[in-house]
Amino acid sequence: MEQQRRSDSQDGVEGTGAAEGRDPFLGVREVSKSFGGVRALKGVDMEIRRGEVHGLIGANGAGKSTLIKILAGVQPPDSGTVLIDGEPVEIHDTQEAGRLGLSFIHQELNLVPKFSALQNMTLGLPKATRLGFIDWRATRREVGPVAQRVGIDFSLDEPVGNLSVADQWLVSIGRSIVRKARLIAMDEPTASLSAAESERLFRVVRELSDDGISILYVSHHLEEILDLCDRVTVFKDGERVATRERSSITKDSLVRDIVGGDLADASQARGATAAEARPMLEARDLKRGSAVRGVSFALRPGEVLGFAGLVGSGRTELARLIFGADRAEAGEVLLDGEPVRFRDPHDAVRQGIGLVPEERRSEGLVLGKSVDFNTNLASLPSLRYGRWLPLTDRRKATVRAAGVAEQLSVKTPGVDTVVGQLSGGNQQKVVIGKWLIRDSRLLILDEPSRGVDVGARAEIHNIVRGLAENGAGVIVISSEEEELIGLCNRVLVMAHGRVTGELSGEEITKEDILRLSYARENGPEGEA
Amino acid sequence: MSVETKGSALKGAGGRRAVSLLARYGTLAGLAVMIVGFSVASPEAFPTFSNLVNIVNQVALTAIIASGLTVVLIVDELDLSVGFGASLAGVLVTGLMVRQDLPVLVAIVVVVLAGGLVGVVNSLIVTKARVNSVVATLGVGTILIGFNYAYSAGQPIAAGLPDSFFLISLGTVLGIPNNILIMAAVLAVLWVLVNRTDAGQRMQAVGGNAEASRLSGIRVDRVKISAFVVSGMCAFLTGILLASLIGSGSTDAGDSYLLDAFAAVFLGSATLRDGEFHILGTLVGVLIIGVAFNGLSIFGAPTFYQYIFQGGILVFAVALSTIARRYAQA
Repeated sequence: MEQQRRSDSQDGVEGTGAAEGRDPFLGVREVSKSFGGVRALKGVDMEIRRGEVHGLIGANGAGKSTLIKILAGVQPPDSGTVLIDGEPVEIHDTQEAGRLGLSFIHQELNLVPKFSALQNMTLGLPKATRLGFIDWRATRREVGPVAQRVGIDFSLDEPVGNLSVADQWLVSIGRSIVRKARLIAMDEPTASLSAAESERLFRVVRELSDDGISILYVSHHLEEILDLCDRVTVFKDGERVATRERSSITKDSLVRDIVGGDLADASQARGATAAEARPMLEARDLKRGSAVRGVSFALRPGEVLGFAGLVGSGRTELARLIFGADRAEAGEVLLDGEPVRFRDPHDAVRQGIGLVPEERRSEGLVLGKSVDFNTNLASLPSLRYGRWLPLTDRRKATVRAAGVAEQLSVKTPGVDTVVGQLSGGNQQKVVIGKWLIRDSRLLILDEPSRGVDVGARAEIHNIVRGLAENGAGVIVISSEEEELIGLCNRVLVMAHGRVTGELSGEEITKEDILRLSYARENGPEGEA
Repeated sequence: MSVETKGSALKGAGGRRAVSLLARYGTLAGLAVMIVGFSVASPEAFPTFSNLVNIVNQVALTAIIASGLTVVLIVDELDLSVGFGASLAGVLVTGLMVRQDLPVLVAIVVVVLAGGLVGVVNSLIVTKARVNSVVATLGVGTILIGFNYAYSAGQPIAAGLPDSFFLISLGTVLGIPNNILIMAAVLAVLWVLVNRTDAGQRMQAVGGNAEASRLSGIRVDRVKISAFVVSGMCAFLTGILLASLIGSGSTDAGDSYLLDAFAAVFLGSATLRDGEFHILGTLVGVLIIGVAFNGLSIFGAPTFYQYIFQGGILVFAVALSTIARRYAQA
């Protein structure tokens, strides 16, 4: 049936959505938003028609989430207007967004696991009897048809926590419909769904669109976008690059839009080096859940190895497996050719591995403590006066902290300054300094220049190069292609928990990184 | 310079500094005001040397139990079993001497080690079974009451205690009561532990940010276990000294120390630092409570005032500590 609809709607070149009328439901006019000095959205215009499935794509940091947050009433725009049915509206908070008929389903699916599907779908707006008790009979009467519409074939009394992710999505969509949503925004709906489950979800999405509900579909999966959407809007660096009709796009044209015109970006890659040296670190077929699905690689001393990929491609999870922060379900790690099993990060640190985590403030630093305290944190036993005398030499701690602060040019009034008061770039240097004091020979940096100003970023890059020149192995995870191009000898690109390609030296280009980032899953089929 | 200055932070900077100063020095000022006030109001009873020694002697036991509790709070956990632990320790130490005929010193060592064992049990429930520390230690504390009654049958153990046991609390060195000296020694050891050993640095790190500590190679569970062991040992030591002071092992003698210790630790966390738990602050907190109670009793305030004051100061102390921390982080 939906096959029928598809071909109908694709008849005319611009005929998509014609049956529901072409009048726009939601309009966005010159919306801008900045965070600190970063302009996340730069005067974006956009229009979503009644009953259309509208795809929204773009690389990490293109501004998709910022737009969604503005529409959801989580953040106000700095300037610009949002129109609904042609009327300007102000979305102060999430409740206001709900009243306007805007509904948002995030990847984390804000459902209450212990509540039944029925309770979740009616959360916040139950039918009450005169005595103030919830009238479950009336509620059930109302929800029944909705459940049927979204294809719920399980009992509504089932606690949501027992349902599969796919069924939870159906419950979330049902909840949106119960709340009379006119536009449902979905963020990466198929991230943890199997092919069959995705197909089921697509059917529901198409039926909703037939009923006149608009869908804003945010996804990194270009095949899905091509399959499902009537129109696609592409964001790049906070701007709208294009909005295109389904009939005029191909996967390649979308990638071109996402990457932008600068395909012939001059590569400043450093040549591949030390290929003959023995690997210091080897990973063999590491697996954990759906995040890391069999990754192998080798790292040589003096090498900077990059990991590229989209958010959620499994890079951070892979780093945590190597560092012992999480346990691998399968596969092994070899250090200097010897298999190692890290029970916790303590074991990894003892072997000379350091991690500069992505979430600097929550995972990298004790914010309420000084520079001195934080830089010495990974090497406390070496502060003792003697091996068996557990008293710490405070002077040694201060001298060491001051030394590394100078080496990394941390701009701080003193080593006794609380790190929470430093800028992002200087905080990042403190985290790196912790591993320099420890003399780590293998450093994993996860998004090292996120939230770091331009000057500090260049300095951090120099530190990384210096470490590699001194024989350390460095792994850099980054969502910024330029950073990887400028820094790495080799780059592995990950998608859906697997390595989809390896680039080295001159081959490391933005275009190739993005092409591989969007590579379709080509691993063994049938995995959930 | 490179110091982060957010727009919103700038606006309230003046007010924030005022609140921070008030919190840091307010508790010390409060202590001074109380001392001056009581001295003026009761010049012949309050500001005498013997009364001051008396106050410190009275708070010495609270200070020991509270400083152990401080160490647990430093690693961002709670220990509600300390009061019941102290009661059990009193019954146990007297019972071991009277019934098992153990020498004084041996009995004391055994009981202090038992306190460490209680700490191990508390911490394993918290770290391995992931039970919230409030619930875990409340449960363990209640179990300790059960052990207490099983061993003592609810009767105080007094008859047949050796004189040397009483002398621990009643003796003096150069006019200073032993309990004050023991308190000073415990506080000094714990101060060094927290501030001058790598174990103490780890405790502070774990309390500040457990995940960042773990990712720096610190074994968070072990750090928490050691903190609970310290707390358990301090609680049991307090119970031993209390039994020596009152001359018997009484089934519920130590229970009331819990609230005073908590109030003292939270008052202390707002002293000199922004809501950070520390040993010296705890001492100040203990003194504030001691001076206040001493004043109330000199003026012959009825018992119900003491309860109202005790509950009020606990709530006030926690509120002050929370506010200080919030302003420090804002």
